[in-house]
Amino acid sequence: MTPKERVMNTLEKRRVDRVPAFSGMGNVTVAGMRKHGIDFASSHADAGLMATLACSTYELFRFECAVVPFDLCVEAEALGCEVNFYAGKSSILYPTIKTKVLRVGEELSIPEDLLERGRIPLVQEAISLCRERLNGEVAVGSYVLGPFTLAGQLIDLNDLLKSSFKKPAQVKALLEQLVEPLAEIANSYAESGADYITVREMGAPSDVISPRMFKTLVQPYLKETIARIKAPTILHMCGDTNMLVEMLHECGASAISVEQKNDVLATRSKLGEEAVILGNLDAYGVIVKGTSSEVEQAVKQAIEAGVDGVMPGCDIWPEVPEENMHALMQAVERYGVR
Amino acid sequence: MAEKEQLLEEMRKAVIEFDEDRVKELANRWIELGYDANEAIFEGLAAGMEVVGELFAKNEYFVPEVLMCADALYAGLDILRPHIKAEDRTETKGVVVIGTVEGDVHDIGKNLVKLMFEVAGFEVHDLGKDVPLEKFVEEQLRTDADLVCLSAMMTTTMPGMKKVIEMLRERNPNVKIMIGGAPVSEKTVEMYGADATGKDAASALEEAIRMVSSLREMKRRKEI
Repeated sequence: MTPKERVMNTLEKRRVDRVPAFSGMGNVTVAGMRKHGIDFASSHADAGLMATLACSTYELFRFECAVVPFDLCVEAEALGCEVNFYAGKSSILYPTIKTKVLRVGEELSIPEDLLERGRIPLVQEAISLCRERLNGEVAVGSYVLGPFTLAGQLIDLNDLLKSSFKKPAQVKALLEQLVEPLAEIANSYAESGADYITVREMGAPSDVISPRMFKTLVQPYLKETIARIKAPTILHMCGDTNMLVEMLHECGASAISVEQKNDVLATRSKLGEEAVILGNLDAYGVIVKGTSSEVEQAVKQAIEAGVDGVMPGCDIWPEVPEENMHALMQAVERYGVR
Repeated sequence: MAEKEQLLEEMRKAVIEFDEDRVKELANRWIELGYDANEAIFEGLAAGMEVVGELFAKNEYFVPEVLMCADALYAGLDILRPHIKAEDRTETKGVVVIGTVEGDVHDIGKNLVKLMFEVAGFEVHDLGKDVPLEKFVEEQLRTDADLVCLSAMMTTTMPGMKKVIEMLRERNPNVKIMIGGAPVSEKTVEMYGADATGKDAASALEEAIRMVSSLREMKRRKEI
């Protein structure tokens, strides 16, 4: 089986020869940057560099995907936010939103030519380039934010969270407005060649808002967004998702992806055999900071607990030791054979 | 006396129920009656916030609720603070530099810890969010802070804390360093060479008081 068949079969709950190890999120490495002489800050603004770097994790370690973009600002930027790319910084920093464009209650204007705005065309091009470079052998992934998380990029988070409690109708009106643009962006990525789309709703775990608020405020729009995406989807949420997994599953994505705070064994028994569960490696504490044998143990545990695909619980921090990436893949080959 | 106790009880309740208007009313009443402002801050507002912390730990309250409680606390603090007696004012518990590390624009957790420090009588220098790493070192030297608090909400910005800790230790080996944020654990503290982490604002404060007093003790011993 090719890595792509393995990933796509997993998302479609079809037979695989072994559990794949891949990500729906960022997974570029300093090793990849060094090999190609690419500096992280400039990779966000150049489709060629982005694609080369995205493919390098597979080329160097056989990690079974290529995912673009690397930051979480693409949609907010297209909707008018200014982004800080930290150009010229020697250390690795992910781009962040510099200016918020909206307050709760204000009307958001969505540009007609949204798909031409910001770096959306650049991401589309990077997806096509990844596809060419990997020649159908490896799945190409991309992602969009969930409506609630995107709202948190557009609006001051204090304002959004308090308003979610005090003025839910206004927040709901905004989330409703974000569904269509997010689905459009995701579908344009799929048309450019993305094999699967991750929807990252990481702003809404039960570390942050109550399961009740998740149900009334977040879930309806997440569900709507996912329903409109015409490609296999992964719904990812980091943080504590133990109280939410049933609701995440109900959102209708092809798979759900969770991090190390999730008790996968319990999740599996709640959701049943048919659910596709991806996770739940600690992307920093274990993959970056652990020893290779700790990485191996974590992979073994995740597979034994019942994940369908081994996935880091977040973007892999690029300064990951090369031996840990190799250990991750060796462990999947050792423990993941079906 | 009974009225005083009752006012404090109601103040705690109003903070817990994030009833900003009620907190203001009660704080004004307290001042009218000529009671000690500091007592209302500690026994009313801060005590209420402690309960809020417990409710958060028990998953009864979540971040939006806590933010609204903090607003209620601030509303009371604004009224009470100008009335703090001069002798209470001079006695700061310690000097703190606090901020969210570069690359991270989350400041909710940091702001809650800052609020607790302020309530407890620390002198707080808040650098804000997305703070260039060298800035923590400069500010610590400038203010001769006892404690530096670093916050990071994402695994992708957490490594910045390690660099700040190294820079701080190099310039000033005695400064106490506390780190916090969703991805931070006891293991991170050990890995990065920090002194402590607080899993929430109240426990961060407890740790801070402990660390600053041990630091003061150390300074005193040196002077002797």
